Amino acid sequence: MQADATRPGGERQPLVRLRGLGKTFGPVVAVAPLDLDIFAGDFYALLGPSGCGKTTLLRMVGGFTPPTAGTVTIDGQDVTRLGPEKRPTNMVFQGYGLFPHMTVRQNIGYGLGLARVADTEREERVRAIMALVRIGELAERKPDALSGGQAQRVALARALVMRPRVLLLDEPLAALDLKLRKQMQEELRRIHQSIGGTFVFVTHDQGEAMGLANRIAVMEAGRCVQEGSPEEIYRRPKTRFVSGFIGEANMLAGARQGGRVRLGAGSAFDDDGADGPVSVVVRPEAVRLGAVDADVRLEGRLEDAVFLGPYTRYRVALATGEEIIAHASDGRIEEGLAVGAPVAVGWSRADQRIVEGT
Amino acid sequence: METLRRHAMLGPAAAVLGLLFVAPFAFLFVVSFWRVRTFKLSPDFILDNYVDTFDKYGGSLLFTVAVAATIATLTTTLAFGFGYVIRFKAGRSGNALLMVTLITLFGGYLVKIYAWKTILGTEGILNSALLALGLVAEPLTIFIYNPGAVVVTLTHFLLPLAVLPVYASLRGVRDITLEAARDLGARPARVFLDVILPQCLPGVSAAFAFCFLISAGDYVTPRYVGGPYTSMIGDFIEGQFSLKFDWPSGAAMSFTVLAACLLAVLAARALLGLARPR
Amino acid sequence: MATTLWRVFGGLIVLFMLTPLVLVVLFSFTDNALTNFPIERFSTRWFRTLFEKDEFWKAFGNSLKIASSVAVISTVIGTLAALALARLRERVANAVLVALCFPVMLPALVIGIALLVFFNKTGVPLSLGTVILGHLVITQPFVILIVYARMAGFDYAAVDSARDLGASPWTAFWTVTFPMISTTVIGAALIALAISLDDFIITFFTIGGGNTLPTYVWGKVRTYLDPSINAIGTILIGLTIGSTVLALRVSRYRG
Repeated sequence: MQADATRPGGERQPLVRLRGLGKTFGPVVAVAPLDLDIFAGDFYALLGPSGCGKTTLLRMVGGFTPPTAGTVTIDGQDVTRLGPEKRPTNMVFQGYGLFPHMTVRQNIGYGLGLARVADTEREERVRAIMALVRIGELAERKPDALSGGQAQRVALARALVMRPRVLLLDEPLAALDLKLRKQMQEELRRIHQSIGGTFVFVTHDQGEAMGLANRIAVMEAGRCVQEGSPEEIYRRPKTRFVSGFIGEANMLAGARQGGRVRLGAGSAFDDDGADGPVSVVVRPEAVRLGAVDADVRLEGRLEDAVFLGPYTRYRVALATGEEIIAHASDGRIEEGLAVGAPVAVGWSRADQRIVEGT
Repeated sequence: METLRRHAMLGPAAAVLGLLFVAPFAFLFVVSFWRVRTFKLSPDFILDNYVDTFDKYGGSLLFTVAVAATIATLTTTLAFGFGYVIRFKAGRSGNALLMVTLITLFGGYLVKIYAWKTILGTEGILNSALLALGLVAEPLTIFIYNPGAVVVTLTHFLLPLAVLPVYASLRGVRDITLEAARDLGARPARVFLDVILPQCLPGVSAAFAFCFLISAGDYVTPRYVGGPYTSMIGDFIEGQFSLKFDWPSGAAMSFTVLAACLLAVLAARALLGLARPR
Repeated sequence: MATTLWRVFGGLIVLFMLTPLVLVVLFSFTDNALTNFPIERFSTRWFRTLFEKDEFWKAFGNSLKIASSVAVISTVIGTLAALALARLRERVANAVLVALCFPVMLPALVIGIALLVFFNKTGVPLSLGTVILGHLVITQPFVILIVYARMAGFDYAAVDSARDLGASPWTAFWTVTFPMISTTVIGAALIALAISLDDFIITFFTIGGGNTLPTYVWGKVRTYLDPSINAIGTILIGLTIGSTVLALRVSRYRG
């Protein structure tokens, strides 16, 4: 949020600036040339399904994969041609890459030793970082005696102790089970806040991106399809892909003609734009059942209702064969809803997004 | 019941090890304290055989250890370099290189020694090739019947056997640990010294120990291409059994050379250990 | 640049490993009375000389008898052991594995004389049988290592399913376990075959009378350099490399 306020039209220089950065492997385009700005203090997510090029992008920032086009500028310095050892970035690898022959302490102190940091300072920094990520008691263990969560913290400490200008994290939580993942999310947020650094991470999990990042770049098939704050991306997805990938979304096919959108399922409303097929995107929590006074209203049949604790999930079939999912807390439901019975669904126009194409 | 059957399945292998390896060795150790009277073994408890080993064959023992150390060092170094090429430099042809290693693994111990004799001999392949090319006027005698020929021959024999454990340990080095080291500021030479080499130490020291023991105990190669001045201990041990029938001496010499090898290997390992990172 | 140098090094090592063997095979098919250049003419003269000798055929027969027995026995024993090891805890299994494989680390000379003294003192007459026993000591570790490595990724759920569907342990082994690992077991048997065929030193001390191919070569080598040795060499190389390649093929071994 903090960066949001300063971002649009702000005068600040981005910390990481990617210009026309792209990578092709032979005929395969892993990352199509793209521009991205990452500002100091950002917790930045590169989000996309596997194979979308997000890890390749991260590796180009870290210097592990040489780009085939464009430049990487960090802190005003062009680092495109520099190897990872010469960049002010450090990486937390997926699978961690801990040195199996060194203890935790040796792993963490390794980079400082290479940088010729004096012994006393090195010890102090290693101790402090181990305290920060809460692994002080593991100092003399070897990596094969660590649990997944512990190894994750060691990898994090090993990178953080270098005080990188930018910390890169490749699927940092993917290998952990659900409970640990939630816990580590909290940890990462706490650490980010306490040291105030710039973190860039790759993930395929939209929940993780929403929970951690203040900026998200959504990638699809080597392209960055939308970039913005989590709220922006959730509320105003630019494409069907983004709306489907970030959270759950209902998508209804329709067509625009002469400034009026007509849905296949029945309803119609005014909307400016070029003639052609469109999709109407609406989030399940914005859909109301039995709505009489809604801006957009459709008739269907209740197929299924599942009580999920915080809310109930309803599945409604429309005459077109399309389905609408509605999430509703119990209080809002009309009495007398029955599976198999006809039901009306509706939502406010403010809650829907219209994207081109179907 | 299950456990019992499982242990029973280990039985035959344990029997082979116990009856055909442990028992003969224990017995050989006992015999090394016996004496020989008029070509007959007689039980005793004397240390003479060991004292004799040092007195008569001390020089040969030292020489053997020196030659074995040379061979083990050379072979392990070459094996590591070759394993390194297969793992990091050869790309797709790495598999082909590995195949070459595997097919030459058991390709005739005696045949290999014989091959080197025909290559290095005065009337051998190398000399005839040099003559035919006009590079020398007369056959050179420096190729064979010296410790160098033994080193070359045994290195050739042991190389594929050393490549396998070394390569296995190199294959265990994950690429990601190399990237992590570079990310933390290590140049390629440091990555090699700090990350690759230490992770390979088990494989390297196994290969080294193996080469050391096998070359220290070999007698066919020195006898065949080593010439009269390459008097390795294995040659004398074999002599105690095939010519002199002095088994207790042969036994004592065997255990002495094994002990010497053990010491040398431990020393080498300690030396390697010193080179490890902080 | 550096990579090119490394590749050149790799190429030189390959040459170093292969050249001597290639030369033996090459010269076995020449007419030369001495093994050297220039090659006069290609011929099978030395093979024909060899095939006329009864001694050769006896040695050849002994080699095959010993090697095939060793292959079968050590494969059965080694596979049983490997299957048992695979079900033990890793720490225990590794300790047992080190013990069982220890003989491989020792010079064959020392194993040979230990066996000679032992057989002599326990009154076991030397024969092809004692050679087979001696070879088991050095072939069994390879069988165990190969089969044990295969068991690392073994899906025990398949065997449990077979038991669940009503198979006795014995039936489950022959209908599920063994078919799943059979190629590896055959590969291990061929490796044992190659090691046995190739062994000279242990054979030398434990055979008593008679020859195998390697001891036959040794007898010839000691007297004079008869180019028919090249021919035996070619046969030995063909047999050992042949069985190794076959082993790699059937077990699809990759390092």
